[in-house]
Amino acid sequence: MSAVPVSPAAPVDDGRPKPVPGAARDRRLKLAALRLALLVALLAIWQVASLGAPPFVLPSPMRVWEAWTTLVASPTFWKDLGVTFERIVTGFALAAIFGVVVGLVLGASKTLGEFFEPVLTLITTVSSAIWAIFALIWFGLSNWTTIFVVFMTAMPLILTTVWQGTRTVNADFVELARTFRMSQAQVLTKIYLPTILPLFFSSARLAFGFGARVSLVAETLGASSGVGVRLKQAADLLQTDQVFAWTLTLVALMLALEALVLKPLEARLFRWKKQAEAS
Amino acid sequence: MSVVKVQSVSKWFPRRDGESLHVLQNIDLDVPEKAIVAIVGASGCGKSTLLNIIAGLVTPDRGCVFLNGVKASAFEDWRSLTYMFQEDRLLPWRTATQNVAFGLEAAGVARPERRERVTETLALVGLSGFADAYPHELSGGMRSRVALARSLVTRPQILLMDEPFSKLDPSIRTQMHDEVLRIKELMGMTIVFVTHDVEEAVVLADKVVVLNPRPGRVRETQEIRLPYPRDPLSPDVAEQARLLRRSL
Repeated sequence: MSAVPVSPAAPVDDGRPKPVPGAARDRRLKLAALRLALLVALLAIWQVASLGAPPFVLPSPMRVWEAWTTLVASPTFWKDLGVTFERIVTGFALAAIFGVVVGLVLGASKTLGEFFEPVLTLITTVSSAIWAIFALIWFGLSNWTTIFVVFMTAMPLILTTVWQGTRTVNADFVELARTFRMSQAQVLTKIYLPTILPLFFSSARLAFGFGARVSLVAETLGASSGVGVRLKQAADLLQTDQVFAWTLTLVALMLALEALVLKPLEARLFRWKKQAEAS
Repeated sequence: MSVVKVQSVSKWFPRRDGESLHVLQNIDLDVPEKAIVAIVGASGCGKSTLLNIIAGLVTPDRGCVFLNGVKASAFEDWRSLTYMFQEDRLLPWRTATQNVAFGLEAAGVARPERRERVTETLALVGLSGFADAYPHELSGGMRSRVALARSLVTRPQILLMDEPFSKLDPSIRTQMHDEVLRIKELMGMTIVFVTHDVEEAVVLADKVVVLNPRPGRVRETQEIRLPYPRDPLSPDVAEQARLLRRSL
């Protein structure tokens, strides 16, 4: 414990060892080099394996690259990607709103929580493929089929986490808010939401990933456009290089989303957390 | 006129076996304006419950509380009263500044004025250099200062303190006592201070009320007439403490 400050400039010495900047950079460089080596090795194995198989079973990396450049140049590429992305985001956004609101309500009322618990279990046990079949029956070949499947996959995850999260809210903080005569709405936004946010964030990330994956299954069954439809067409025509090209596109998009949106957002939202937890 | 007046207050808590636990019995307490009154007692004597009753968080089963001469049930100016807890209860996701501002957010103070008053209050407790630090970056003493600033930022007339320094090192606790006395002199609020530490009560208070447990009742009320500042190690303080300890 450090002494009580005499001058405002007194440094905060928390007793934790300070990282050496040079060592951290060296380690990062080494890791980057290792990752690059892994990529090269995987490409090499892929190349060698493709030599012993016909292209419709395993196309070579070069062939996939060519298929990908043609794919990106094709007029429907961005449209398909956009339409799929829109369905995922809509389904996910609806799931997040519904999950947070209902999760908070169920967390706030024990009676409601106990009453609705079986419904949640029921929804989680039904497979996404079954939801896709129901969606096809109910919504036909429309955007809503995919949106519904994404929603039914992502929503229970978010709802459960938020609901559980309400139980981790520190009663002392709620009492503190009461001594300041805060309104119920203020307690919800100033104590409950910040407590739940880290949990919500990790579950939302998981839910988005699940949603994105099942959206393709839903599209192959119940859509006339989108990435899922193109994948199915390519598979039906034995255009395996096309399947690979789409797959790589999706992987690249998910990685970009993680690195450009989620990681910076997480760092900004949770900079109050101890460094030890983050590393 | 007394700022806080507790009149024959009794309180029972329901127990799990259906019986009820008698927590407070016929408590009378009178806190004059700008006084520091310490409530001393062993654990389980109901001193925190008494503080919660004064704060309006718990309603008494019998008797009543008057704040500024107004019956608690009709009292409206609750924001002129703040409460400092045994734990600092700093919100870990807020910086020192944001934690102090918490008290003003409930009162609906506009943002520019909020910032000004928070800066002013942080300076008052000697934490100007740590405005943007998160709680986990602060030492126990500093966290305690942030919590103190949070209960001062609304410029309360009544400050209720429930063993706020009991978890601090003795030397830092003494510093906090000096701070409380200095700030009280400056702002002129009335303080009700709950503690199990008799020396702490003697160093701070004009008047010490000793509670006995099961059910909690007033055993003794003692005026402390020693001049401030009081040295916790002086013979006068030791003698007062010895006298009070006999009734514990």
